[in-house]
Amino acid sequence: MEGNGTDQLEYYLSSLNELGEVLIDADRVESVGTGILRLTLGTIMASKGAIFLYNKNKDVVLLSGRGFELENPLTPTLDEIKALKQYSHSHLIFSKNNKGLSGSIEKHLSQKRAKIILPLFHKETFLGVLCVGQKFMDQEYSEVDTKVLEIVASHLTKALFNYQLIEEVEAKKTEINLKLLELETLFDISVAISSVLDVDELCDDVLWRSVGILNASKGVVLLSSGESPILNTAANFNWDKDIPLLSKKHEVFKDIDQDKKGCIFSENEKNSIQKKLKEDNLIISPITAKDETLGYMLLCNKETRKGIEPFSSLDLDLLTALSNQAAVAMENARLFKDITKEKQFNESILGSIATGVITLDPLGEVDSINSAGLKILKKERDEIIGNHYMYLFEKDEDLIEIITTSEIENETKSELNIPLNTVSEDTIINVSISPRLDPTGNKQGSVLAIEDISDVSKVKNTFKRYVSKQVVDELLGDDGKLNLGGEQREVTILFTDIRGFTSMSEKMEPERVVTTLNEYFSDMIDIVFKHNGTLDKIIGDELMVLYGAPLSGDNDTQRAVETAVEMQEKIKDLNKERKQRKEPPILVGAGINKGLVVSGNIGSRDLMDYTVIGDTVNVASRLCAAAGPGEIMVSKSVYQTIKESFSSKKISPIKVKGKEKKVPVFLVTHKKSK
Amino acid sequence: MDFSLTTRSEGDVVIIETTGYLNNVGGEQIAQTCYKEIEGGKKLFLLNLENSKVVNSIGVSILIEIIEKLQDVDGKLGYYNLAPIVEKTFNIMGLTKYSSVFASESEALEGMS
Repeated sequence: MEGNGTDQLEYYLSSLNELGEVLIDADRVESVGTGILRLTLGTIMASKGAIFLYNKNKDVVLLSGRGFELENPLTPTLDEIKALKQYSHSHLIFSKNNKGLSGSIEKHLSQKRAKIILPLFHKETFLGVLCVGQKFMDQEYSEVDTKVLEIVASHLTKALFNYQLIEEVEAKKTEINLKLLELETLFDISVAISSVLDVDELCDDVLWRSVGILNASKGVVLLSSGESPILNTAANFNWDKDIPLLSKKHEVFKDIDQDKKGCIFSENEKNSIQKKLKEDNLIISPITAKDETLGYMLLCNKETRKGIEPFSSLDLDLLTALSNQAAVAMENARLFKDITKEKQFNESILGSIATGVITLDPLGEVDSINSAGLKILKKERDEIIGNHYMYLFEKDEDLIEIITTSEIENETKSELNIPLNTVSEDTIINVSISPRLDPTGNKQGSVLAIEDISDVSKVKNTFKRYVSKQVVDELLGDDGKLNLGGEQREVTILFTDIRGFTSMSEKMEPERVVTTLNEYFSDMIDIVFKHNGTLDKIIGDELMVLYGAPLSGDNDTQRAVETAVEMQEKIKDLNKERKQRKEPPILVGAGINKGLVVSGNIGSRDLMDYTVIGDTVNVASRLCAAAGPGEIMVSKSVYQTIKESFSSKKISPIKVKGKEKKVPVFLVTHKKSK
Repeated sequence: MDFSLTTRSEGDVVIIETTGYLNNVGGEQIAQTCYKEIEGGKKLFLLNLENSKVVNSIGVSILIEIIEKLQDVDGKLGYYNLAPIVEKTFNIMGLTKYSSVFASESEALEGMS
């Protein structure tokens, strides 16, 4: 540098200007070091120099250098740093026995023949050292040179401090990210609680996450199995397949159970479990749910870039949190398994019963239906589940009303013999709707029990043509009462016949004949059923009615006579109407006999009827034939049964076909008043 | 399961397929493979992590080192077939800001070119 003073000043200023650009442009501390050193050496005309950095490991390392190579980091003592501190914001000229230099720094700088040394301090923080060797051609450094060096050192200090701050921020950011990862892992496991319901899958998931988050090299989940002390391997990550057999009676697990907390083992201690597993660094956490130890999570070898290090208490806290989450998840999985088992049990019961069971949720939508229910409704499950009962049963207003009433009143409601038009007009059901309650008594919807009684109803309707509803119900209510096979029994038989109907009908239009008979029979059969008679036959204009078959009653004969009396009364009323319509009167004779008959289903295989046969029947028929219009002729056996209740008179015995002797007969007139 | 890897090339892209735990051991193996390929002039790397379901922070720090090395040579690192737990870790640790995640190999090869 041979120019005049102004040129030199311009050169220095230009260099300092470039210094600013280096600091702004450099994206990494290494680039800053290289740029500043090159600029500095060029400005002060030196060929050798270096920037040393004091790092967080308390080592002095070379950031950038020419002729100051450093094989191993320097390790200055606090005293060495303290000595250097005297020259912060200043410089020192290297010389032997300089009070500012000592130890490893002095030794290295001496070896490399440093000339000017500038310690870099930000307040009390030692950041490093800037040094330069001999000036070009062994010239002496000028005052301006040292001033420039001090300015460079000042800017370098600020830059290094900024980079140190950035580095610390980055480290904190990594730390925060790791914490975030821990929290995310805990969150993921809590999500798994509600989504993973298989214990093995859960154990794998929790173990993988735990190994990863704790930087362990491998791990295993051991679970208790009933009363056995042997711990089963529920999950294994990176461990040899042959994990030594471990018992929950091992002192380590006993201590963990007693203290209710996990433990850490490092290479400084020698526990039998370390020997057994042939691992020095272990961390074990109990998996505890409701004070019961379900098992243990065991990890080993915490990895760092430098090798294996012992697990910390923070690691144990984290593993405990993970294990606790796992315990809740496992408990949920176990409960789910139990509930599923119970549900399957209930479903198998519901599936095996003939009654259709439909459950409604609180909104009234179907959430389950058993097989019998599907069969009754004649629908597929998909068509029903999720359907609101008002849509499902939209053709059955009565049923909807029953369900709604049950819902509103929160009570069980039942109804018998109601049609189910949802299926067909012929479908008849008995239905019961009950509130569905949870264990705390809160209503969770309703349960419908549906019984398809269509077949029974058909039988009933068919039977109703012959016997009264009361008799049908009695018969269907107790199968034991019904004996349709042949048997001898005592019955009372009523015959009625319209007198002169044949000649009367000859004078009438055929349609009118049918109308007349229907009107007559309709009224008469109502009276028969009113008194629980069994309509055995309608032959032309003749009726044959049984009392005491197929069911015996206490007062069969009484009811037979009451029927006949009421019939004659009804015919009088009927004739009044017929008279108004200018139609001829209907005159009816009735005969009643009581005695033993043979009853049962009689006829061919294709055409079989329940009826009675025997002499008693023939005599009853003869009595009917002998009775005059409006008369009720009864046999002696009948008379003796009803004489206290009905007024009657004895008339001359009559000759009956098939009987040698005449038969004594009586005419019943009316019922005695009480 | 011990860590292992295989390497193959698709044009300029080096595909490294790993099996096992991506930890210190696994990470170092990947790093050494990458550095060797970088010395040979390769700049584009894809990691198929289909069979590496677990990664720890040491493995992540080694991947960061690889990314820094690749930045010096204008190279790129990408991954595909990541397990959700691995992808989440990469996201949280900031890896995905400096490297790319792809759903499949074909998508990755297209994205790297």
